[in-house]
Amino acid sequence: MNTYDDKREQQINALLDGELDKAAADALKSAATDDRELARAIIEAYQLQQAMDGIHVERAPVSLRKRLRAIPRKQRTAPGIGWFQPRWVVALAAIPLVIVALSVMQPNTPSASEIANARQQLAVAFAYLDKAGVMTGRRIEQTVGYTMADAITGSVNSVIKLHHETSREKEA
Amino acid sequence: MKRSVMKKLITGLFCGLLSLSASAQEDELKDLPGYVDFGDLSALYGEPKIIINLGGTMLNFVSMMSSAESPETAELISRLKGIRVQIYTINESSDAAKRQFSKVKDKLKSSGWEPIVQINEDHEQVLIYMKMSGGDMEGLTVMVVDEEEAVFVNVIGQLNPAELGKVLKTFNVDVGVDVD
Repeated sequence: MNTYDDKREQQINALLDGELDKAAADALKSAATDDRELARAIIEAYQLQQAMDGIHVERAPVSLRKRLRAIPRKQRTAPGIGWFQPRWVVALAAIPLVIVALSVMQPNTPSASEIANARQQLAVAFAYLDKAGVMTGRRIEQTVGYTMADAITGSVNSVIKLHHETSREKEA
Repeated sequence: MKRSVMKKLITGLFCGLLSLSASAQEDELKDLPGYVDFGDLSALYGEPKIIINLGGTMLNFVSMMSSAESPETAELISRLKGIRVQIYTINESSDAAKRQFSKVKDKLKSSGWEPIVQINEDHEQVLIYMKMSGGDMEGLTVMVVDEEEAVFVNVIGQLNPAELGKVLKTFNVDVGVDVD
C-alpha cells in the first residue's frame, strides 16, 4: 500500500464507500486483476472497514461516571460559603441594579391601582374631616342657638369662618 | 441550601428597600411646617383601624387623574402636600386617647398653631387647629376622641374646607363614614 499514491488510496476508499462512479469502479477493478498490490490494498481496506463497523461504544458503569463527575468538585480548594463563586458574584452585582431600578420606578410611576387606592384613602380622609365639621357644627348650634344654624353648613369651613369668635369667647 | 439563602437575601433586600422608600416619604412630610406628630397609641388600642399616609407625589397623580372628571377636585388636591390619618378603635376606656389628645394640643399651641374649634365634653372631645404663615394655610389638624374611636387627621398644605363637601361627592366612593 505504501507504493500507492494518495489518489489511488482515495479511489479505494471511494469504491468501498460506494461513491466511485461505475466507469472508475470498473477501471479500478480491472486494474486490480493485473496488479496484486492493488488487489491486496483493496482487500485490506475492505477488512479494515468491516472491523471499524463492528466496533460499539460502550457506556461506562454508573459508579465510574459518578466518580468521574465528582473529580472537579473534590479539586475545588475554597471551603465554606465561597463568596467568590459565580452565583454569589452575580447576586452581589445585581444589588446596585435593583437599587437603581427601584429608585427609578418607585417614586415616579405608581400604577393605576395604586392611584385608585390613594384616591379612596383621600376620600376617607375628607369624609372624616367633614364628619368632624358636622359634629362641631351641631355642638355649636346647640350652644349658640338656632339662629346660627343656617349659617352653619356642617362643613369645617363654616365652622372656621363663623365660629372663630365663638371659640375665642369660650377660651376667654 | 445555598440557593435558598440567596433567595432570602434578595427577598430581604427588596423588602428593606421598599420600607426605606416608605420611611423616606414619611421623612419628607416631617420636614413640612404643617406636619404634626400624633404619637403612637397602638400599645394601648392595637394597630390603627385606618392609617393613611399620602405624600405630595401620590396626591399629584390623584389630582391629575381627577382633572378630567372634576377640575374643582383636581385643584383642591393639587394644593395639598400631604395628608395623614390615624384612627384607633376604643374598646374600653378612652382615657389614654384623651391624654394623647392633650399632649398633641399642648404641642400645637407651643408651635404656632391656632385653635379654630374645640369641644370639651366628657364623652366627646373635638379639636380643630390650623397653622397659617403669611396669610397662607400650612396645615390643618383635626382630632376627635369619643367613646368609640380616636381620630387624628393632619392635612399638610392648603385646604378650603368649604369645598370639601362638594369634592367628596365627586369621589363617588363608599368611604364607610356616617356623617349624619
